[in-house]
Amino acid sequence: MSLLQLENVSVAYDQQYILKDFNLSVEKGHLISLLGPSGCGKTTTLRLIAGFLDATDGRFAFGGKDYTRVPINKRNFGFVFQSYALFPHMSVYDNVAFGLRLRKVKEDEIKKRVMRMLEIVSLGGFESRFPQALSGGQKQRVAIARALVIEPDLLLFDEPLSNLDANLRVNMRVEIRRIQQELGITAIYVSHDQEECFSISDRVAVMNKGIIEQLDQPSVIFQYPKTEFVARFIGFNNFIAFEEREDEGSFYSLRSGDYHFHAAKAPGMPATMKGAIRPDDLIAGTLAEIQPGDNVLTGKVKVSTYLGRSYQYVVVTPLGEFTVNKEMQQPYANGQEIRLLFPSEKLVLVE
Amino acid sequence: MKKRYLYVLLAPGLLFLTLFMIVPLILTVGSTFFKDGGFTAGIYAQFFKDAYFLDILGTTLLVSVMTTLLCIVIGFPVAYYLSKLPPRKKGIMLALAIFPLLTSSVVRSFSWMIILGKNGLVNNLLTALGIIDEPLSILYTPAAMIIGLVHLFLPLILITLVGVMESIDHDLVRAAQSLGASRLTAFRKIVVPLSIPGLIVGSILVFVGSLTAYTTPALLGGKKRVVATFLYQNAITLNDWQAASAIATIMMIITFVVIGLMNKAAAKFKPKG
Ligand SMILES: Nc1ncnc2c1ncn2[C@@H]1O[C@H](COP(=O)(O)OP(=O)(O)O)[C@@H](O)[C@H]1O
Ligand SMILES: [Mg+2]
Repeated sequence: MSLLQLENVSVAYDQQYILKDFNLSVEKGHLISLLGPSGCGKTTTLRLIAGFLDATDGRFAFGGKDYTRVPINKRNFGFVFQSYALFPHMSVYDNVAFGLRLRKVKEDEIKKRVMRMLEIVSLGGFESRFPQALSGGQKQRVAIARALVIEPDLLLFDEPLSNLDANLRVNMRVEIRRIQQELGITAIYVSHDQEECFSISDRVAVMNKGIIEQLDQPSVIFQYPKTEFVARFIGFNNFIAFEEREDEGSFYSLRSGDYHFHAAKAPGMPATMKGAIRPDDLIAGTLAEIQPGDNVLTGKVKVSTYLGRSYQYVVVTPLGEFTVNKEMQQPYANGQEIRLLFPSEKLVLVE
Repeated sequence: MKKRYLYVLLAPGLLFLTLFMIVPLILTVGSTFFKDGGFTAGIYAQFFKDAYFLDILGTTLLVSVMTTLLCIVIGFPVAYYLSKLPPRKKGIMLALAIFPLLTSSVVRSFSWMIILGKNGLVNNLLTALGIIDEPLSILYTPAAMIIGLVHLFLPLILITLVGVMESIDHDLVRAAQSLGASRLTAFRKIVVPLSIPGLIVGSILVFVGSLTAYTTPALLGGKKRVVATFLYQNAITLNDWQAASAIATIMMIITFVVIGLMNKAAAKFKPKG
């Protein structure tokens, strides 16, 4: 039994549907991410769960109870806002104590719990500061502490790290994951940064235009995106449209024009006519290094760019342009003929 | 030092203010301290011993304080409602709210005379409903002045409050609610304290406006005088310009004291750090 369930939920702003027949379920103790480009409805989903906006249709169940009409303040969910939303007229201590005071907890008990929570987010000694006098990372941690101290049944994060610089972002996401696992809290985490989502989640839901395209473990999505959208979003930017597909047991044999390919089967991989592969997984070599044959295309280098560790080439082939990354000392020249090898276990089929 | 040139921009305004405000102010205040060629503060001592003047001063302060309080009580929820409207609707509603400020105070006061008089709308209605037997005397009392002034100055407090409330991030209210606050509690603990700066500015505008208002108290107050009408009487009817200047000086001092006190109160609510 999952802890949280959205069933056929729809949300519309001004007659325009942002979410339509949206479904999502989350297991107790899991951290699940909603990943997708800006504007795809991640925040809307999160705000719907928090109760900040109402669904036009559908049902939201939590812990087996219907929560669709439960008011915000009766849900006991913690919300960490993208802009933190710390109360500017209250000290760090009062911000964190806010939820406990409303729960009529005794002042000495409040003090104990607030101090412990500030310790957990490494903000001991900051209790009398005001939000204006905190850095972005510190504000962020106050926001987390404020949401955590009420011991919420569910923790909701809306891009909590997007306003921080790169280093802090990596540290903070580890912190968030640590706290979430230590306290065993169920959490939903929204981000448009795939690395962030993949690194801290038990499950990732990749969203596009108000629907979930794929919900899976991060490692599964990373290797086997189900749709072209998901593939593109996580960096598979090479696609081949096939004309024929044969099931050969452990692999598919595929044809596009005069070129033949094999793609290894994987559980859950859709049987379609569209192949995808990452630039990092394509293997480039000179005409001498790679012999013509199945899973090989010959083409000319059109553009080359230096990525630091490797070079990236755009190669024009009879099946279109492909992007490939290769670590090498001496780059290929523009216009040079090279061959591309598509390893059959890296070539995946997508919808 | 390029910045010096910027001061040149201030020159016309400064010249205007010096000629037409600062110099006349100094002359006005200064003139109250000279009598029979000697320097004396006697005129002020006289005023503060005069029961008639103290009564007028009391009425004025009462009317101003009541007007300000009523404006706050009525204005606060209305301003919150306005601040939550979608932009188009808000523009229309604000324009409507500001309308009283745009009508002539003479016209406005006369309409109140018609409404509040012995044979006015209010008395006729109350009599017809059998709530009262004798018409109430509302017109020509401090109550009538207060009603007229609230009508006049409510827009001022609305504009300043809406401005401040609009800038309150609604996520703060949502955050409070998600932490367990009911709508009312969130309003009390978040919206109210964060609106205090706007409330203070609005209150100062209303208070100072009520303190110095002339037309409305003159028309709705009847024989009941306030400081502004008393000043007018001294200057125009009695031709006692020195007394009038002294009254003006007293009004200025009261204004400064009130602004000072309110700013002090505002500083208390400002988020520190
Ligand atoms: N208050 C609103 N009124 C109208 N449209 C909105 C409102 N809030 C969000 N939207 C629209 O809903 C869509 C989804 O928004 P959102 O959930 O914020 O996306 P995300 O968080 O994934 O970037 C966007 O197209 C956005 O323009
Ligand atoms: Mg968003």
